[in-house]
Amino acid sequence: MRRQLYRLTEASSSSLPPVAVSMASQFIREWSGIQQFPPATQDKLLQLLGKLKEKKKDRLTILVMGKGGVGKSSTVNSIFGERAVTVSAFQSEALRPTMVSRERSGFTLNIIDTPGIVEGGYVNDQALEIIKRFLLNKTIDVLLYVDRLDAYRVDTLDGQIVKAITNTFGQEIWRRAIVVLTHSQLSPPDCLTYDDFLAKRSEALLKVVYNGARFTKQDIQSYSIPVGLVENSSRCNKNEKDEKILPNGTAWIPSIVETITEVSLTESKSILVDQKLIDGPNPNDRGKLFIPLILAFQYFFVVKPLQRSIKNDVQKEVKPLWA
Amino acid sequence: MHKLFFTEFKWNYLFMNFLTCFEISILFSRAKIRLRYGLIVLFYELSGSMAREWTGIQLFPLATQTKLLELLGDLKTKERTSLTILVMGKGGVGKSSTINSILGERAVSVSAFQSDVPRPVMVSRSWSGFTLNIIDTPGIVEGGYVNDQALDLIKRFLLNKTIDVLLYVDRLDAYRVDNLDKQIVKAITESFGKEIWSKGMVVLTHAQLTPPDCLSYDDFFGKRSEALLKVVESGGRLKKSGIQGNTIPVVLVENSSRCNKNDSDEKVLPNGTAWIPNIVEVITKVATNESQSILVDQKLIDGPNANDRGKPFIPLILAFQYFFVVKQVQKWIKDDIAKAPKSSWE
Repeated sequence: MRRQLYRLTEASSSSLPPVAVSMASQFIREWSGIQQFPPATQDKLLQLLGKLKEKKKDRLTILVMGKGGVGKSSTVNSIFGERAVTVSAFQSEALRPTMVSRERSGFTLNIIDTPGIVEGGYVNDQALEIIKRFLLNKTIDVLLYVDRLDAYRVDTLDGQIVKAITNTFGQEIWRRAIVVLTHSQLSPPDCLTYDDFLAKRSEALLKVVYNGARFTKQDIQSYSIPVGLVENSSRCNKNEKDEKILPNGTAWIPSIVETITEVSLTESKSILVDQKLIDGPNPNDRGKLFIPLILAFQYFFVVKPLQRSIKNDVQKEVKPLWA
Repeated sequence: MHKLFFTEFKWNYLFMNFLTCFEISILFSRAKIRLRYGLIVLFYELSGSMAREWTGIQLFPLATQTKLLELLGDLKTKERTSLTILVMGKGGVGKSSTINSILGERAVSVSAFQSDVPRPVMVSRSWSGFTLNIIDTPGIVEGGYVNDQALDLIKRFLLNKTIDVLLYVDRLDAYRVDNLDKQIVKAITESFGKEIWSKGMVVLTHAQLTPPDCLSYDDFFGKRSEALLKVVESGGRLKKSGIQGNTIPVVLVENSSRCNKNDSDEKVLPNGTAWIPNIVEVITKVATNESQSILVDQKLIDGPNANDRGKPFIPLILAFQYFFVVKQVQKWIKDDIAKAPKSSWE
């Protein structure tokens, strides 16, 4: 009883029963952070929101996933322009996912921040379970797969994360995915220009993603996952219009929101996380259709001949004198 | 008779020949690997004895050169003419880059996106009678697991070498310390023994970072070192052996050519320290501290012999078994035989 009470009073919407969530959605806070952005950024963002509303999309749900400590929560805070999710440099993230919703002129933006699913060399299945249960009956429009730009190795651990995401949500989620590289304001190692380094890093990471998502060569040719760059530090360089920019000159906040908009307007369907998706394919259904065929085969080709040969043997046997 | 003898002899001879050829071919295929490896080790040892001159030291700015030569002089007064440094850590943290920076030349190949050196490499440079050997190792972590094969290669490479200083390298700009780091520390401790940490130091690369908001550089550095030293202490189980985790020195390193420089043109960290003389100073301090250097002999590599465990108890157990079990059971059997009723047909 006490546990239920505690759950009701918890602030995060993850633990509220569905009825309460729909009621709480009436109280979505306004995206006030957008006014903190410089005017140039604000204009571009409002333009993109307008575009989405034209195509009759008045809400967008973004799922943010990745290893721990790469900058997922920081990215969410940067996009909203406020400290919506707690970030701490040295502690592990919160163990459960949180959804942050903000509303602006009829458009609702929901971003779901998740705990890092890698824990000391292994994919943390418990964290994955919690994320799945949190997402029940939500629709994911865009997946942000976050990693650092300034990492110099890609290994099987990244492959395992991608595979875990694919096994949980299905391969289709990667058609609505963006690879986000944080810590973008880096000075590349010697002998490499920023663009070269970026190209190599994206190539290495995308290779792992395509491998883990089981994309065939045709899939890759027809659709390539976009890469977004992000720099969440307050020491990010700014251009004349006071927008935060990357070392290659792009203003990254409008850029990533534009990529998100483009991905959300693609033809592929948004992923609805229903109970069926969470449970996964039922192994009992596998080959169900063959059961009557196998039974028929067994009856006609095994049971009947056996019965016949038993009858024959009974007839042919020589009765002993004392039977 | 003669002929018969000769024929027999010939068959024997051919048979033995065949056998030896067969044996040799088997041994050879196994030995081929050993031979190849032995040649490589020999080559490295030879190259060690013909250490090249530390020309890179002249490429440093004058202030750095002076400090380094001072430190080398210090070492020579303490009668140390050579120093062997072992560099270990995860992959992609900057081990090879650090070695190149200390030596002032591109002694070890560094590539931003490929895996590290496949096998350990020893680089030796000498200057005015002093020899510096630095051993670069492949990252011992591979996709979430400690790579035992790489560890094995490192151990075999280090056979009969003495390690004066261990450099445990990691990045300053990592925001999480997890079980993986603990496993690396455990692997190092199990391979070389706890004593290696009394000759150990932690090196944090990418030191020219702008810390995250709300933290000053020194605060960030303090927290990062604290977290990492805690892992070293727990992974190496140092508490029981009396080695204090917080006595292990932590140094900062910035290997990029974009490292800031001070007025004397030395590479400096954001807190103003010239890091090249600083790291060499800490290395000399650790090398000349009271603990002994680690000699990597066959016994250390093989580890404690599991067969020796509890050996002294064997005679006691045997005696116990004899007096309390065997004798007792014999007595019971005799009693049973004596008491058994004789059957009618005996």
